[in-house]
Formats: sequence, C-alpha cells, structure tokens
Amino acid sequence: MPDDRTDDRTAVLVRAAQRGDTLAMAELLDVLAPYVGRVCSAVALDQGADAAQEALVAVFKSLRTLKNPAALHGWVRAIAVREALRTAHRAGRTVPADLSALPARGDPQLSTDIRDVLDRLSPEHRAVLMLRDVEGLDERTAAALLGVRTGTVKSRLHRARDTFRKAWTS
Amino acid sequence: MNEHWPTTDLDPVRRLHVLAAGIRGAHVTEAHVDAPFERVWSLLGDLEGGFGQVVTDMERLRVVRRQGERVEALARSRYGMRARLRGVQRPGWCWLQSRFLLIGVAAAPEGPGTRVAFTGGVRLPSRAALVPLGVRREGGRSVRNLTALL
Repeated sequence: MPDDRTDDRTAVLVRAAQRGDTLAMAELLDVLAPYVGRVCSAVALDQGADAAQEALVAVFKSLRTLKNPAALHGWVRAIAVREALRTAHRAGRTVPADLSALPARGDPQLSTDIRDVLDRLSPEHRAVLMLRDVEGLDERTAAALLGVRTGTVKSRLHRARDTFRKAWTS
Repeated sequence: MNEHWPTTDLDPVRRLHVLAAGIRGAHVTEAHVDAPFERVWSLLGDLEGGFGQVVTDMERLRVVRRQGERVEALARSRYGMRARLRGVQRPGWCWLQSRFLLIGVAAAPEGPGTRVAFTGGVRLPSRAALVPLGVRREGGRSVRNLTALL
C-alpha cells in the first residue's frame, strides 16, 4: 500500500476517478492491485486472484461513495478481507479449524514455507494473522473489520501466531 | 517477513474487467484466440498499424508523444470526430481516453493461445459512464477483426 509520500497523489487520483476520469481510475488500479493481491492471497490462497478481482470490482463500483480519500486504505482493506473470506468459503476447502491438529515444532512436514503453514489454517485464522502481523492492526480494529468480538480475535491471534512462529522458526 | 507471504498479480484481462465494472454502461467483450500472446500483441500493440485494423471505430491513429508507458495519439473516428487520446500502453494493456472516447484493450497468455478483452465507447462528461449504445457490437467486431488477421 502506498506510504505517506504517495498519499497526496493517491488522494488526487481518487478525486479525479470520482469525477469520471478513467485514466485516473486505471492509475489507481495500478496502485491498489498489488496491495489487494497480497491481502486476498494471504486469506484465499489459490483463489487469491479471483478474490482480488472481486474486491477491486467492489472498490471501483462504489468509489463514488468514498467521501474522504484519506480513508481509502482502510476502506479497501475491509473490502479485500471481506471478499477474500467469501471467496475462500465459496471454494469450500476443508482445513482444520483446530490448530492443535497442526504438526508439532520440528516436524519435517513444517518447512520454512509460509504457504505450507497458511494451508493448515482456516481462512479466518489467516485473516487474523495477516491483519495483525502484516497490516499491524490492533485487536480492536481487526475485530471490527472481521465482524467478531475482540476476545475472539485475541484467542484466534494467540493460537495462529503461536503456531505460525513455531512453524516459521522450526 | 512480508515478502514471504503469498501474493498475486491481476493479469490485464482481469484488470480490464475491474475498470469496466466501475464505468456505467461499459461492456467487456472477451474471447480466446488461437494464437500466442506475442503474435496477438504484435498486432494490438502497434497503435499506428494493427491496432486500427482491429479497433475499427478509430481511423488514422497517429502517436504524437510517448514517454515510458504513457502515450498520446491523434485519431479520427469513422464518424469523422477527431480525438486526442491519452493513456497508458504496455504489453497486454492499452487504455486510452479522450474527452469523448474510451478505448480499453487487454490480452493475457492462456495456454498456447491468448485471452483478449475489449471495452470502450462514447464517454459521458463528468462521470465514469459511457453512452450504452453499440458497446457490445464494437467489441464483437474487434474480436472478429483480430481473429481474421491472425
């Protein structure tokens, strides 16, 4: 996602896109696509491209409703997580919801491949892990974004991060 | 550790669908053509040549400025309107707009062939919208022109 230095440019693009400038829309898509691709792939895995496309369609369909361009990043993030979870559930992949089913530390199955670890988490766990460890969100914000209680996020986060770290450092 | 997380990049055809979804009245015509991407894009990427033979609502398209991916071209529609088109062109992607016109073309490898997509039409001022007349017909014509040239 763009840093502060590019925020001004992004705000200009949002305003121009809202006025119907399709070149600004195309440039805004170039800015948003890598970020949405990361969010959606972390949660929806193999369906990441489908989820990212759905999320960006939702973003551009409702861009005119975004009143404050400074809120773009959080707004896009919420849409991306929502679409990624929806896509992952629609794909119907079965994964163990109970993280205790994961291989123990040192298990040769657990390589340093993050993808291998993510494959063993539910979409919700992946979302929690990504929001906290990649996006740097606190529990309250993550809970609001996922539509669950803060306590639920804390417990999910504790288990997901613990397992993730063990796998990552094993 | 962010660089280790999985990621995905939307191919140009998916991107065309995204932008078209945000433009009221826009229609995407998509097709698979039995020719490799390099051959397809050698036609579509040639703005002053093959491009005009495929997207035939534009005649005599002439590039007047190019800076990196950014391009500016003068064109005349077959209805006589002149247009100064500005936009971006890169392999698999061409997005051009003038005050009244929009042209979007995308291509991505698909197996041994290529998936192509077209959108565009007459723009409505001050909003992301097209006059919803002939948008499907033009896309279908572009696909047929492209197929005939390959």
